[in-house]
Amino acid sequence: MTAKLGSAFPNRRSVLGGMAAGSGLLAAAGAFPGFVQAQSSAPIKLGFQLHRTGIGASYGRWYQRTTQAALKLLNETGGINGRPVEVVFEDDGTDPARGAEVVGKLATQHGCDAIFGPLFSHVVIGSAPRAGELKIPYLVCSEGYHVASGMLNRWTLQPGITDVKAQVRAMAPWVTANLGKKVTMIFPDYAFGHDHRDFFTQAVKEQGGEVIAHLAIPPTETSFTRYMPQIPAETEVLYHVMVGPAVLTFVKELGEFYGNGPRPEIFGFIDSLEAVNLASPGLEFLEGTHFWEGHCRNQQPDASVDETFYRAAVGVDATGASLADARDISTYSHMFSTWETLFVIKAGMEAAGYQGPKDRQSFVEAIEAMTTLPASRAHPQGDKIFNGKTHQVFGHQSISKVTGGQLMRVYQTSIAQGQYPDAVDYTQQSF
Amino acid sequence: MKRQGLFAASCWLLVLSGGALACALPPSVVLTLPVGHYIMGAASAVGVTALLGAMAGRLPSFSAHLLWDRRRLLPTALTSYLSFLGLIALISIGFLGDRDPMHNMLTLVIWTVIWVIVPLGSVMFGNLWRAINPWTGPVRIARLLIRRRSRLGLATWGHWPAVVGFFGFSWFGMVSVAPDDPAVLAQATLIYWVVIFVLAVLEGDTWLEQGEFLTVYFSYLAKIAPFWLVLSHKRARLMAGWPGTQVRDMNTLTPSAMAFISLTLAALTFDGLSESFWWLAMLGVNPLEFPGRTAVLGANTLGLLAVWAATAAAIMTALWAEAWLQKDAATGAVWQSASPVLLSFLAIAAGYHAAHYLVSLLTNGQFLLAALNDPFFQGDSILGLPPIYVSFGFLADFGMMTLIWNLQFVLILGAHVLAVVLALQLTPTPPATLAPPAGRHRRLIAYLPMTMLMVGYTVLGLWLLSTPRGA
Repeated sequence: MTAKLGSAFPNRRSVLGGMAAGSGLLAAAGAFPGFVQAQSSAPIKLGFQLHRTGIGASYGRWYQRTTQAALKLLNETGGINGRPVEVVFEDDGTDPARGAEVVGKLATQHGCDAIFGPLFSHVVIGSAPRAGELKIPYLVCSEGYHVASGMLNRWTLQPGITDVKAQVRAMAPWVTANLGKKVTMIFPDYAFGHDHRDFFTQAVKEQGGEVIAHLAIPPTETSFTRYMPQIPAETEVLYHVMVGPAVLTFVKELGEFYGNGPRPEIFGFIDSLEAVNLASPGLEFLEGTHFWEGHCRNQQPDASVDETFYRAAVGVDATGASLADARDISTYSHMFSTWETLFVIKAGMEAAGYQGPKDRQSFVEAIEAMTTLPASRAHPQGDKIFNGKTHQVFGHQSISKVTGGQLMRVYQTSIAQGQYPDAVDYTQQSF
Repeated sequence: MKRQGLFAASCWLLVLSGGALACALPPSVVLTLPVGHYIMGAASAVGVTALLGAMAGRLPSFSAHLLWDRRRLLPTALTSYLSFLGLIALISIGFLGDRDPMHNMLTLVIWTVIWVIVPLGSVMFGNLWRAINPWTGPVRIARLLIRRRSRLGLATWGHWPAVVGFFGFSWFGMVSVAPDDPAVLAQATLIYWVVIFVLAVLEGDTWLEQGEFLTVYFSYLAKIAPFWLVLSHKRARLMAGWPGTQVRDMNTLTPSAMAFISLTLAALTFDGLSESFWWLAMLGVNPLEFPGRTAVLGANTLGLLAVWAATAAAIMTALWAEAWLQKDAATGAVWQSASPVLLSFLAIAAGYHAAHYLVSLLTNGQFLLAALNDPFFQGDSILGLPPIYVSFGFLADFGMMTLIWNLQFVLILGAHVLAVVLALQLTPTPPATLAPPAGRHRRLIAYLPMTMLMVGYTVLGLWLLSTPRGA
C-alpha cells in the first residue's frame, strides 16, 4: 500500500495541522488560492472514518490516498458552493465500537458537516446508529447489502459503490452463459461467504443453472487439500471467494490438485487478491481464470479520459500499482468509491444550498433526489443510478480474465442487470 | 456483509510488526514457505547445541575488549534534559497535531522509535536509552532546586514498580482499544512521565534503573550487545565482545528482576499470540471478521496475565525438575539456579524483540522517515530526501518476504543458541563430590528440562512469526 506524504497535498495538510497546529490557520489563508472570493466563508469540514489500523488498514491506506487526490481536485475546481473543503481523518481501528466513538468525535468535537469513508461492514453496522442519533449524514463505502436491506437509517447512504447483492446478480447471467451452468461454490463459512452463497445460488437458479455443491470452509482453515476432492467431477464452474492470509495457499493447493489436467472454469472475486500482484510466483494457476472487478485494476484499451485522469491523480500506473513502487498494488477495485462519494457530497450540498449543520437534512434529501450520475471526472468508474428510496447506488460491473498475469476485461454488465426490487423506502422514515 | 471478511486475515503479517500500529496486509507469502522444516531445524540446532555444550564441559570464553577510552563528551544529565524537552514537544503534538496516527510524530516516535528502533539499537550498540532517558536530567535538576538529598525508600521495592510499569505498558499497547490515537497516547505518556518524575524526585534518579520499566528493559537488552559503553565520571570506554559477554558479569537477579524478565518474555509472546488464528479461535472470534479490540478487551487482559503465569510456571517447572534431577532440590537450589537461567533468557528477549518488530521497522519506519523529512507536512525536504511514498509492496513480494523470514529465523535461532550457551556458562559448577562418571552422568540428565524449555521456546518463537493472524 502506498500513502503519499509530503508535497502533493501541502495545502490540505497545512490546514489539518500536523505539527504546525499553531500555524495551521495562518497557513490556511494561503492554502486555497482559488477561493479568494470566498474568504469569508468557513471551509466545509468533512470527517473521514478511516481504517488506519486494525484489519482494514490495507484498504485504509489507499482509501486515504484516493480521498486526498479527490480533495485536491475538488478544491482546485472551486470546492463546494465556492467554499474550500477540509477532510479530517480519524482512525477507527476497524473496530465497530470505536467506529461509533469516531462518528461522535467527528460530529461533535471536530464539528464536521458530514462523515464518509468506512468500508468494513461490521464497522458500518456498529457506527450507523450513532450517526442517526447525532443526525449527521453518514456516507459509507462498504458494498454491504445492509444499507439497501433497510437495516440502517435515513442518515446512512451508499452513493459511491454498488452493493454485493447487485454485483453478484449482475454477473450471474454471463457466468452461466459463458462458463457453465453447473457451479460449485467455495467460500469461507461466515456472513461474508454466506452472502455470496445465497445471492449467487439464487441468481444462478434464475438463469437456469444450478449450484451443485457448496463447500463452506471454516474461517480458521489454512490448508485446503482435504476439501478439493469434494468438488464434484461434473463441475463446470468453480466459484471462489476465499479471503485472508491463506489465499495464496488456497491457489497453490488448487493448482496442485488439478495439475496439468483438465479443470473446470474458475470464477472468483478480486476481493481475494485485492492489492496482490497476479503475476506473483505461485499464482500462475490463475492464468485463464476469471474475476469480478468493481473497477478494472489494469488499464483497459478503451479506458475513458476520466478513468485515465483518476488513475494518474491517485498515482497508480497502468497495472494498478503505485507509481512509486511497482510492487505496491492498489485496492483499485474498491477505492474509487471514496472519490465518487466525495463528489456526490459536493453535488448534494450544492443542490441543497448547504450552509451549515442546520442544512444536513436538506443535504440528505438532495442526495435522495439523485437518479442518474453520469460518467465524468466525478464518476471515473462509470455512470451510475442512485436509488433514493434504498439509499444505494447501482453501477456497471466488470468480468476480467487473467491474461499474462494481467486482468483484461471480457465483459461489462449493464446497470440494470444488478438492480433488484426495493426492500426499504428510507424516504418514508423520519429524520 | 461483503466487507466483513475482506482482507481481514490478510493482516497476519503484522505479526511481525506486532506493535500497536498494526495493519491489514496482503495474503501471506510466508504461509507458502516450508516453515515446518525451518522450525524443526531450529529446534534440532538448539537441542544439539545444549547437548554438545553440556557434554564438552567447556565453552568458548567470552571476554571484553577495550576499543577506545576517551573523555565523555556530553553529560548524561544534559542529553536527558534535551530529550525531556523533545518529549514535551511530542506530547504537545499528540494533543494538538494531526489526528491521523501515521501523520502524528508522537505516535510515530513512541511506537516506532522508542519501542522498535531504540531496543534494536540497544541490542547492537549498548544502552542508547541512557542518553535519552527523559527523567534523569529533570530529576537531578528538581532535586537540586528543592535541595532534596534523602530517599523515600522505594529501593526496597526492588524491580516491582518496573514490573507494574511494563505490564501497564504491554496492556496499553497490546490490549487497550486505541493506543495509536495521538491524544490518548499523549495523555498516557504525560501521566506516566509525571508519576515516574515525582517518584524519582523523591527517591533519586538512580532509582530509575530498577523502578522505571523502559530504563530496566533497555539496560537488560543492552547486555546482549556486542558493543557497549562503560561510563565513569569523566571517561567513556567503548568495549566489544561476543553478544552476551556482559551478561556473564551481571549480579544475581532478585525475585522482582526475575519477574520482570519473565514478564518481558510473556508480553512479547502474547503480542504475537493474541492476533493468531489459534488464539482468536479459542476466544470464539472469527479471525476473518475480527470484531475489533473492544470485543476482546477482557479476554486479552486475562490472556496477557495467563501467558505471564504460564511463562513463569514453565521456567520454574524446568528449574525444579533440574534441581530434582541434580538431587539437590532440598537445598533451595531452584531459586539459586533461577537467576542464571533468567539472565540467559535475556538473549531470547533481545532476539525475539528484534525479529518480532523487524517488519514494523520496515513499514512504520517509512512513515517516520517521511515525517522527519517533512515534519510540518508542507512539502519540505529537511533530510534532503525526495518526496517519500510509504509503500508496503514488499510484503507481497515473494523474494523479499522470503528474505525477511530467513532473517527472522536467524535472529530467533541465534538468540536461543546464545541463551543455551549463556545458561551453560552461568550455571554453577556441580559439586566436586559429583565426580565423573556418576556426577557427569547426573549433570547431563539435569540439563534436560532446561534444554527442553529452550527448544520449546524456539519452536514457539518461530511459530508465532509464521502462524496466520487475523487481528
